[in-house]
Amino acid sequence: MASFWTFVWPLIVIVAAIVAIIIPVLIGVAYLTYAERKVMSAMQRRQGPALVGPLGLLQPVADGLKLFGKEMVIPSGANPGVFLFAPFLTFVLSLVAWAVMPFGAHLVLSNINVGILYLYAISSLGVYGTIMAGWASNSRYAFLGGLRSAAQMVSYEVSMGLIMVTVLLCTGSFNLSEIVLAQQTVWFAVPLFPMFVIFFISILAETNRAPFDLPEGEAELVGGFFTEYSCMNFALFMLGEYSNMILMSAIAVVLFLGGWLPPLNFGPFAPIVNLVPGPIWFALKIAFVLFFFIWMRAAFPRYRYDQLMRLGWKIFLPFTLLWVIVTASALEIFGWLPAVVP
Amino acid sequence: MAEIPSILPATPEIFLACSALALLLLGVFKGDCATRLVSHLAAAALLVAAILVLSHSGARVFAFNGMFVVDGFGVFMKTLVLIGAAAVVMVGQGYAAQQRMNRFELPVLIVLSTVGMMMMISANDLMALYMGLETQSLALYVLAAFRRDTQTSTEAGLKYFVLGALSSGLLLFGASLIYGFTGTTNFDRIVAVLASAPKAEIGIVVGMVFMIAGLAFKVAAVPFHMWAPDVYEGSPTPVTAFFAAAPKVAAVALLLRVLIDPFGGLTDQWRQIITFMAVVSMVLGAVGAIQQTNIKRLLAYGSIGHVGYIFLGLAAGSEQGVRGILIYLAVYLVMTVGTFAVVLSMRHQGRPVENIAHFAGLSRTHPMMALVMALFMFSMAGIPPLAGFFGKFYVFLAAIEGHLYGLAVIGVLTSVIAAFYYLRIVKLMYFDETPVESIDQQNDGAVTVVLVGCGVFTALFFFFPVPIMSGAASAAASLFAG
Amino acid sequence: MIVENLVFYTFSAILLVSSIMVISARNPVHAVLALVATFFLGAGLFVLLGAEFLAMTLVIVYVGAVAVLFLFVVMMLDISFAELRQGFLRYLPVGGLVGLVLVVELVLVELHWTVTPKVLDKPAAPIPPSDQVSNSHALGHILYTQYFYLFQASGLILLIAMIGAIVLSLRSRAHVRRQSVAAQVGRQTADAVAVRQVSTGGGV
Repeated sequence: MASFWTFVWPLIVIVAAIVAIIIPVLIGVAYLTYAERKVMSAMQRRQGPALVGPLGLLQPVADGLKLFGKEMVIPSGANPGVFLFAPFLTFVLSLVAWAVMPFGAHLVLSNINVGILYLYAISSLGVYGTIMAGWASNSRYAFLGGLRSAAQMVSYEVSMGLIMVTVLLCTGSFNLSEIVLAQQTVWFAVPLFPMFVIFFISILAETNRAPFDLPEGEAELVGGFFTEYSCMNFALFMLGEYSNMILMSAIAVVLFLGGWLPPLNFGPFAPIVNLVPGPIWFALKIAFVLFFFIWMRAAFPRYRYDQLMRLGWKIFLPFTLLWVIVTASALEIFGWLPAVVP
Repeated sequence: MAEIPSILPATPEIFLACSALALLLLGVFKGDCATRLVSHLAAAALLVAAILVLSHSGARVFAFNGMFVVDGFGVFMKTLVLIGAAAVVMVGQGYAAQQRMNRFELPVLIVLSTVGMMMMISANDLMALYMGLETQSLALYVLAAFRRDTQTSTEAGLKYFVLGALSSGLLLFGASLIYGFTGTTNFDRIVAVLASAPKAEIGIVVGMVFMIAGLAFKVAAVPFHMWAPDVYEGSPTPVTAFFAAAPKVAAVALLLRVLIDPFGGLTDQWRQIITFMAVVSMVLGAVGAIQQTNIKRLLAYGSIGHVGYIFLGLAAGSEQGVRGILIYLAVYLVMTVGTFAVVLSMRHQGRPVENIAHFAGLSRTHPMMALVMALFMFSMAGIPPLAGFFGKFYVFLAAIEGHLYGLAVIGVLTSVIAAFYYLRIVKLMYFDETPVESIDQQNDGAVTVVLVGCGVFTALFFFFPVPIMSGAASAAASLFAG
Repeated sequence: MIVENLVFYTFSAILLVSSIMVISARNPVHAVLALVATFFLGAGLFVLLGAEFLAMTLVIVYVGAVAVLFLFVVMMLDISFAELRQGFLRYLPVGGLVGLVLVVELVLVELHWTVTPKVLDKPAAPIPPSDQVSNSHALGHILYTQYFYLFQASGLILLIAMIGAIVLSLRSRAHVRRQSVAAQVGRQTADAVAVRQVSTGGGV
């Protein structure tokens, strides 16, 4: 019996941990949509959702319930298996990536050696949801959207990878907790500021957000790859998209903004900022990055497709490549290379 | 912390790779109008690399943790490859400029491919072998399809790519079996493992057979030859000249290195395969060429036959055999480059012609060109006292010394058949009427230089055979010493 | 241990099924998706072996980039597999024979599998214990020292592939209007706007 419990007990702990991560993320997703509408309306001198609940706080719940009540439509000529699998995949992928995210010191579900590569791998899988949805819908708009998104995400992943390399050069580890701990003296956003800016723009493109929302560009493609989706499938896509935004912001925070480490952690401020626990700082920083996401959407018009490709391949790729070399040279010349286990 | 491995023995390769990058940059910034300059610089770089190769003492030295070996054999083969590549770059430039394929990538790809060939020749490790082979082949696939707007060229590129990828797959499969059974990819360690076992494992033998099949593909030996005629015909002619010259030498060098060095202990096992391929290659090379009317196809079958003779020397498995092969290769390279220089100058009203009927009456319109062409054809047929005769002579000698009498007899018989179609071209040039469509006059300095050089070599090899002979002898000795 | 075995067999079984689907699926897009699944499960098997770096690289490179482009092409081409299979029966005897010979050879090889005693003394690259060195560090150590040559050679091969792709596909087409960002940004008010004093009723 004891052996049975030694076997089952960790399983229960893991499941509990997973639930403890997923529930806040999903709540975060719901209120991100609310925050987006509120922030944008404030920027556009409107009121935004204000009718459902106090200050419109129940609006996300109402939206969810409405989507549940809709009819599920599978277009004729669609490939039903792939059609139904695509939103599911997008949603699941946006959640599994949280497994390696360090929320605080030692507060991580799976502290694997190659955490950053895992995140990169999962985010590179995200493209399949879009491209499968586009193909399976048997619709020209959806198909064009799927193709655009595939090309776009693959293009921007290249420079994202190179940016991660510069960060890795400074930390000497793939482990996310170690990356955060390497930023105790200074957050990487300071010495690697250009990389931080490019990383932020790349994650906008990677999550298909404005001004890079061509895969779903309403003006030309109706709704892009989810033109044909309705009901829960549509909801899953939306959940996946917003949870991806949170995830990407979290990655940006871990790589450049010191993860769970408090800001101003020196001199007289240190005792004060340390009163607030790490996970709270982490969440606040994510919220800060997300605000920029929304701000971008309100501020910039959509890119044209060739401009998008030009930016990715002709500007970001050479620039990040150059910066990798510059960083590596600087580390080597000044002897700042991180100490690495033999 | 491991030390940075020694890289000095690889100086020629590093120089050539760096100059390829420099040429690429030059081409990219200057555009296609710099093609001529890039071509000349590429030829110069290849020749400088040849000098660097020759400046090596000939002692057996290793680089990159034993993955890369330089010895007398490597020096000899690399010199051949580099000279062949440089000659082709010079000869092909004028043709490329006229036939709307005047793009600077052509010489750059040739140089990169040559780097791959040098890596192949110096490989001392299964992985290094594969890397060299892929570097060479990938550039060749692109070169074959270089005239992407013509159907024949794209077909040639695609065919070569698909079959080449298949052969690489076979080779890798064989290499993985060998790694699995010996536990190492290093040639010297493979020798040690083979020597320690009383009897060769069947897995090693199977792996070796796969590797031979993969390499036989690259040298176009029967039964792995089917790509050669189509690819030779479809590729742009300068590229065909390159195919026939440099990669053939490099692939034979690789095959020799693999069979003599790590698998020298398994000579009895691989001799059967090589003998078989030698016989069928010689026969098919001779018979297949008879009905060809396209000069490039004809030369493709001719080269299949030449591989047969080379395998004849290899089947002997002796130092004499390898020496014969090296002489044969040197002579073959010169004859091939010369013949293709003639083919490249064949134009009718500015357009290239490839039908052998166009050679008719060449002796009256262009007597000098007809003379050198006749020289090459006689030499390829193996008529004494031209260079081609000596190539065949030493190979046959080695076969007889190795008691492979039957093989030698087949070799002599097939060279008689092959003489038929080589001499037919001579007959066309000297005894047939000049047709209305005669060949234009060509005045390309580089082609003339190469033609004269090759012609003089072919004609006068009889008087000055010593440098090649002694070079081949010491190269063969160094291969067997290793 | 039981969990590992269970996961291993599950992964392997699905991997085999999906790799069969790669060649048997009627729809080419399904075949590519099955290929993706195969890569992914292969990465899973790498993780079980403790080769986490390889697993992630497999997913990033093959699944995240190569297969996406593959899918891209397959979706845009109208490939009819039925048409491709027309010659299947005709070539089956020869192909089947070759396949059979290969299988027999492989079985023969497998039956004779023994490790030569000296092999184990001289491994090409000794594997450091995984509890001391993470395998990305271990790989990095030999990749840039012992296998430096191969690493550089791979770089050269990729460069050739890139040149090849450009040679074979880049066309400079006439009549294409390209955006010149520098020209747009460098445009001054004076270049575009002219302020004129127009007399009343005079017209421009």
